[in-house]
Amino acid sequence: MLGQTMTDALLNLNSVTVRRGMKTVLSQLNLQVSSGQVILFNGTNGEGKSTIIEAAAGLIPLEAGSVHHHGELLIDESGKGAKPVHPFGLTLQADGCMGHQRIEEHLVNTMDIAGSRVEMDSILERYNLKHRKHDLIAQLSGGQRRKVAMIAGILPGFISKEPRLIFLDEPDSGLDEASRISLIEDIRYLRQKGHAVLIASHNKEFEDCATDLYNIEGMVEINQEPTTEIVRNDVTNLPPKGWIALRNGVVSNNRTLSTLAYNGIAGFLTLGILLALVDPTKLDTGTIQKSGLILSSAFAAGLVGDSMVQMLHEHRSLAWWKAHKQGIPSSYIHGAILGFALTLLTQLAMDLTISWELTIIGSLLTTLTMFIVRMFDLTSARLARPRAAFTRILTPTLILPFALLVQWITDSNLI
Amino acid sequence: MIQRETTVGRTMSKRGAEGILLLGFFGIGLTLGLAFLKAPSVSINAFESPDAQRIFYWHVPAAWAAFIAFGFLFVGSAMWFFKRSNLGWRMHVAGAEAGLATGLMTVWSGMVWGAAEWGVPWDWTDVRLNTFGLLTFLALFLVLGRQSQPDGVETRDTFSTFGLYGFVLVPVTYVATRLWQIRHPGPVVGGGDGGSLAGEMAVILLIGAISFTIFIIGHILMSMRITSLEQRLERIQKSMDKV
Repeated sequence: MLGQTMTDALLNLNSVTVRRGMKTVLSQLNLQVSSGQVILFNGTNGEGKSTIIEAAAGLIPLEAGSVHHHGELLIDESGKGAKPVHPFGLTLQADGCMGHQRIEEHLVNTMDIAGSRVEMDSILERYNLKHRKHDLIAQLSGGQRRKVAMIAGILPGFISKEPRLIFLDEPDSGLDEASRISLIEDIRYLRQKGHAVLIASHNKEFEDCATDLYNIEGMVEINQEPTTEIVRNDVTNLPPKGWIALRNGVVSNNRTLSTLAYNGIAGFLTLGILLALVDPTKLDTGTIQKSGLILSSAFAAGLVGDSMVQMLHEHRSLAWWKAHKQGIPSSYIHGAILGFALTLLTQLAMDLTISWELTIIGSLLTTLTMFIVRMFDLTSARLARPRAAFTRILTPTLILPFALLVQWITDSNLI
Repeated sequence: MIQRETTVGRTMSKRGAEGILLLGFFGIGLTLGLAFLKAPSVSINAFESPDAQRIFYWHVPAAWAAFIAFGFLFVGSAMWFFKRSNLGWRMHVAGAEAGLATGLMTVWSGMVWGAAEWGVPWDWTDVRLNTFGLLTFLALFLVLGRQSQPDGVETRDTFSTFGLYGFVLVPVTYVATRLWQIRHPGPVVGGGDGGSLAGEMAVILLIGAISFTIFIIGHILMSMRITSLEQRLERIQKSMDKV
């Protein structure tokens, strides 16, 4: 859109260059999107439709240029970025939702990020999902899961009275005809409310609701006239709840018991093996061996890393959370409890007087070790095959700090 | 004619790397021979296992070569990360591979020596040992990780980040000897009082250091050439995909 200033535009891509693999996908792209615009990216495969959506959402590092939302810098070529001041809607091509979450939980997360909660039944009913509201996403068919991802993308537009950016990457993929018709009408409604919508799709049906078409040849204006007014029941906004990532981490862990299954087993096995091999009664008090034995199971549990990262790789959930910059769910609380329990159990098994200081150190040890291993995992998350990056090779590096901690505990006479 | 000259030039360059590598191998073999046959025996009062001390002539030059390789890794990582330099990426790959090779030589020889001298092959509380071990693990991670990923900016950015992070440990490793020295001896070069050698021992160590330096240069040149050929092959395959 020519003649606009950066602050007028809801989205501004300023000379954006993006490389993916060995290919420059976007080169010096300039794009401004203003309130009420619906842009349909309908180019051929490999032309960069998804890349534009993900670059605009701040998900992809830029080789050059910058992305601004509502005039505020979101990300630039140096990687500098800020938490979006104005929340946006995002539907990723790979859905971006974890299988062990309930439909309502994923949508509540979206609403809390958007800054307000509303009754979601009417929109779920429109897409024939109301009866599935309490189901796990893993229990849905591919098309139903797509609907959930798509609804999560458009919900911020329904909630907000201020213009918002809505990014939809192949939102119609796998949707039945009735849902596609509802989606097109919903996009018209979002346009009517003054939101800006970016859609990447080959589906020509979206031309009915788009104001502009964008492909390799440039932008073409279509359907600039206002459409017939669409009436939706006004939603009653309720206050959001905070601690979104923390809350999700706790709920996910409670449901899947993943920390117990991943970290707990490693800790209990270590404890069992050590007790089978070493007679603790023959170890002198105040020796490095005894301190090390007490903390080994808590340390082993932490070395396994954060099971949540594995779950976040499902359907690119990690990318969805990263884009919104509201934190990423973790297992720290469960890790701390596990470390506490393992250190306590070790002391009981060794028939020692319980040292609460040592038990708390065990709890912190598991949490901190889990945190560092999680950092290794998250650093390699951008790779094409993040699970094949062998980050566990780096975990032996944590043995040195562990050894120094054990030395300090021994010298401090904590046992 | 020009084409032929270029090809001849490349062949010479390839042969040059092979020649340097072979010279390095010869030097390393010579060092081993001198260490076992010529180096003076050390005092039985100064060492628990005096014969095992001869590993020193392999262990120290290997560690020296590993630091050169890790230096390459760092410079290459920085060149890719900040300048998007293809040469930088080739240096990163070569540095990681050479660092892994010489790092394993150092760690393995150190463990054998440690088992003989200290009674344990490894001391988990010795910072210098462990930070060096970390560098070797890092090189292993970079080599295995790169082989499991398709080449691209995402792969290069991620592994360069780890390369930059790892190199912070090189000065830490050196300083650690002075701050937290528990079992491992201080630095042989620049170690101040009591840390320097003299006479025949120093000459053999010098031959070892030069040999390992030649070896590591040859290794890096060969590795960079292989990476360059891989990149060329990738470009040719991509151009064939378009036909």
